[in-house]
Parts: sequence; structure tokens; C-alpha cells
Amino acid sequence: MSLKKKSRRVLFNLFAWSVIGLIAFPLIWMLVTSIKPQSELFLIPPTLLPSEITFEHYWRLIDETPFLTYMKNSIILALSTTAVVIVIATLGAHSLLRFSYPGRERLAQLVLFTYLLPSVVLIIPLYFLMIWIGLANSLISLVIAYTTFSLPYALWLLRSFMAAIPDDLESAALVDGATRMEAFIDVILPQALPGIISTALFTMILAWNEYLYALVLVNTDESRPLTTGVMSILITSFNIEWSLLMAASVMMSVPLIVAFVFLQKYLTRGFGAGAVKG
Amino acid sequence: MSEVHINHVYKRFGDVTAVDDLSLLFKAGEFVSVLGPSGCGKTTLLRMLAGLETPSAGEISIGDKVVNDLPPGSRDIAMVFQTYALYPHMTVRGNIEYPLKKRRTPKAERAVKVKDAAELLQLEELLDRKPRQLSGGQQQRVALGRALVRDPAVFLLDEPLSNLDAKLRAHMRAELIQLHERIGKTMVYVTHDQLEAMTMSHRIAVLRFGVLQQFASPDEVYRKPANEFVAGFIGTPSMNFIAGEIDNSDGKLTFCGGGVALSVQAGLLPDGLIADGDKFLVKMGFRPEDIFIGDQGDDALVSVVEPTGHEVIVLIDLNGNEVVARVNPDVRLKAGDKVKLRFRPDKLHFFGTKEGIRLNV
Repeated sequence: MSLKKKSRRVLFNLFAWSVIGLIAFPLIWMLVTSIKPQSELFLIPPTLLPSEITFEHYWRLIDETPFLTYMKNSIILALSTTAVVIVIATLGAHSLLRFSYPGRERLAQLVLFTYLLPSVVLIIPLYFLMIWIGLANSLISLVIAYTTFSLPYALWLLRSFMAAIPDDLESAALVDGATRMEAFIDVILPQALPGIISTALFTMILAWNEYLYALVLVNTDESRPLTTGVMSILITSFNIEWSLLMAASVMMSVPLIVAFVFLQKYLTRGFGAGAVKG
Repeated sequence: MSEVHINHVYKRFGDVTAVDDLSLLFKAGEFVSVLGPSGCGKTTLLRMLAGLETPSAGEISIGDKVVNDLPPGSRDIAMVFQTYALYPHMTVRGNIEYPLKKRRTPKAERAVKVKDAAELLQLEELLDRKPRQLSGGQQQRVALGRALVRDPAVFLLDEPLSNLDAKLRAHMRAELIQLHERIGKTMVYVTHDQLEAMTMSHRIAVLRFGVLQQFASPDEVYRKPANEFVAGFIGTPSMNFIAGEIDNSDGKLTFCGGGVALSVQAGLLPDGLIADGDKFLVKMGFRPEDIFIGDQGDDALVSVVEPTGHEVIVLIDLNGNEVVARVNPDVRLKAGDKVKLRFRPDKLHFFGTKEGIRLNV
């Protein structure tokens, strides 16, 4: 390897690692702060590695606050939103691709149009709607709200995914004696799996991190998800419980990190949708 | 084994008529090819037989049952697709077994049938592989296996050889013929490749723009094409045409056109087609093998010589008309040679100019 090539490699690596450091630093700081003793929190100069590792903030969070209730709510919320969105979006995408009925293309465009609408403008109408149908202050109201704004994107993502599945596969299943639903389950779904998984991840992240709707639609501790719950207990006008906040942030990140680790290969496959040949 | 009856079937997609008043009867056990250029409606016809498309009008029967309203799975047909349409996430065994599973065949029976089909198609070694680990020819055989295993009354094959390379295609052609002889089922074979249609079928249905042009044996389609389109479509190189007129003087018919004048053999055209002293505009057709290059006949100029080994294809300029001849490789010719052409008088075809219908007896 020539010197020029070598130095170019070193430079490239240096650049890559600085970008990684830039992105990773806040996360590392979050982790470090969550295991620092309270006394070390505001030391100047700050310590990068804590002199003593403690999990007291985690225990306090679990013992003294309704953190676990929020966690449970967030899990229920993320899973049920994802389930509802995936069921409707796969069947919807299949219908938009394979069935012929008047106005099919129009319908697809209309769905895209709803995605263009900023979700903020829907908050007040949705709030009144939820009160009117008696679902205000419930997790279901959030599931409905999250479904309304993640469904259009999910539908289009899955549509482009499923468009890459050859028509002949479904025809072959029909000729082989499957009903339409059987052909969908036996043949289309396994082919669409990478797309379904990446769509599911996208929806789950959205439901997990959503803040604004949760703030407006839900006001009781029993139904609050993590985002607004943590905010309401740890951040007040007078005080911010930094160490608890960081411990909460770490615990909030863990489920997503776990999901990513397991589903990463599907996600990257998802980004190459259409290029993947069955 | 069942006959297939297509009775005045139409298929329209919006303003486009893909299949136009088609009536055909395929006999039980027959190997029929549906042949035509792309967009002639042949695949639409096959999909209607399979139940994947609904006819806009008309009736389709398989055996003695009208199947218009039956879903594909209840029609007792199997189909092999051009793309093979193997299920990528299933093994070869899973693919072949799938139609049996959908028919609730007991597991033990399924295993036996899959084994039989695999044996017949030499797939035993490949049963646990996924389709993407197979070569084109092997995938083709799996697709056939999936069709065979159900023992259907009718096989529908949609250009099944078109994705294979030339050598493998010739091999699979022979295999398909043998397979048909062995199982004796009615097979409907859609293709745009006339060689496949000619070599494999009992009868060929030639389609154009969704309209049936001719339905006859390969021999008849070749020797007595029903119209100018069939004449030009069947045969490689295709038939030569020269526009001209036939006049009748004292009962003697003479063709004049393209600088050629030749007397038409008695009995070639029906009596009374052209009244005495009358003229009739025609197109004269002749196959490349039905002209001779020698020292007698009309003057012509060799423009291109294409030796293929066992024969030589010669492009000849005959008074401004381009004519293709198929000659023996021993005849040494080169571009620019002046030659003389003769036609085989009993092999001339005449077509009307308006709709191109065959005029010969």
C-alpha cells in the first residue's frame, strides 16, 4: 500500500470515528450520568468516568415513581399501534396493488395526501372526537391517534415493497387451490416479511417516542406513556432530577436498542426494497 | 383427461379487446399450441382457462362442466408459468407439495405423490433445496412437478421454455413431448416460438389481435396457411410475397408482378375465381425452399449470403423485390452474383389483397 493510500485511509477512519463520537457522546454521557453518585453530578471539571458506580437512581425511579406503569403503558401502546397498523397496512397495500376497482389509484393518492397533513393540526379535532366518543384519557385514544398518522406512510412503504412481489406467485397459489386469503398468507406475506418488519419498526419507534399527542390526549398517571410520564414526574418548573432523568432515558432506550439488534438485518433489507429479488 | 371447449369467448380491458369471439375445441389428450406474436391475446386466453381472468362474454367448459364461475383451484387444471412462479421461501418439496396440501391430501399420500413426481422429473436430489439454489432448467422441472403432482385434467403452459438458453430449450422440448406421451393429458401450450409449436403440438391455434387465424395441424398450417398473416408468421425465414395480378385469358391463368410473369398451374386456384378476360389483384407467396437458383428462369442479383452450415440463406434482389431463398451449401454463391430464379409451380400460394385470405384450392 502506498503512503498516499495509507494516509487517505487514516484520514477517512479519523473522520468516521469523529462522526460516530459526535453521535455517541450524548448517549455515553446519558449512561455515565445515570450511574454516577448524586454528589459527583455537578462537579467542575466534570468526570468522564464516575469514581463510584451506583444504581441508586434506577432503584429510586422504580420504587418512588410510577415509572413501571408508564413503561407498561408505552409497551402496550407501541405493540398495539404496530399490530393495528401492520394488519391494516398489509391488507390495504395488497388491495391497492392486486385488486381492480374504480378509484383505486385515487384512493392511494388520497392516502398519501393525508400523510402530507401536519399531524399537529389534527390534535384539537382528535381531542374533541375522543371526548365525544368517550375515549379521552385512555390508551386506546392514543392507539387511534398514532394509527391515523402512521398508517398512510406504512401503507405506501408496504405498497412499494409488495409491488416487487411477482403477480405470478399469487396466481400460482390460486391455481394450486388456495383461496385468496390463503394465497395472501402462504405466499405474499412471507415474501413481504422484510418490508413488514421494517414498517413495524418504524411504527413502533414512532409510537414509543411520540410526545405531543400523549400530552394533549392523556392526563392521568394510569394511562400516561413514558414520554409524558417521565416529563411530568422529573421535570418541574423548579427542579430537574438529572440523574433520575438519565436513568429513565437509559431504560427507555433499551427496548428499542434490543429491537434494532434483532431486526437490523431486515431493516437494511427494507431500505433496499425493490432491489431484492425473490 | 378432458376436452376443453371455448365458446364465443371475448375479453375486453377497457377499450382494448384482447380476445375477440374465440371458439375452439381442444380434444381430450391433445397437445395444442396457441401461437401468436406478443399482445395477440394468447396469455389472456390461458389465464381465462385457468380462472385468473373472467371472460367478458362467452363460455368456457372443461370436460362437460362450464367453468366460467369456478375459482382456479376448482377447475381441475394445473398451470406452469413463464416465470415458473416457484414459491421462493419453500423448498422444492414444499413447492411440489403445496397443491396437495391445499387439497387436504393426507400426509402419507402426499409424500408418495411428491416422490413419484420427483422421480419422473429427476428431482429427488433437489427436494430439500430452495428454488434460488437451482438452475433455470431445474426450476422449470420443479414448476412441472408442481403441476404434475395433482394429476389435473388439463395442463396449461405459458411459454414455459422462453427463459431457458437455446440448448436447454431443445432438451426440455423433447422432455415435454415425452412427458405428454407418458401421461396423455390435454395440454394447452402458449408460445410465440413457432418452432416449439411446430415440433410439439398435434394442432396449432394461431392468434392475431385476439382473433383466431387458423386452427390446424402443424403440417397444414405450414402447407396451407389460411391467410397472409399465418403464411408470413410460420416458417423461418418467412415466406416471400410479391404483389401482382392474375389475369385469365381463354382459361389460362397468368401471374404478373414484380417483373415476373408465370403461368399458374391448373388446379391450384378454384375454377371460376376469375372470369375469362378478367384480372384479379393478388399477393403471391412462396417459401424460401420453393425457389431454385440455376441457369433458367428470371434474372436476379444476389445481395447477401448467410451460410448456416447445413444450408445457405440467400437474399436476392428480384427486380427490386427482396426474395429469400434457402439453398444447398454446395451451391457456391457470393454477393453481387447474377443468377436465374425458378419457382416450384405447385408450391405457390395466392392471397387476396384486401384481407389476405388464401385463394388456393
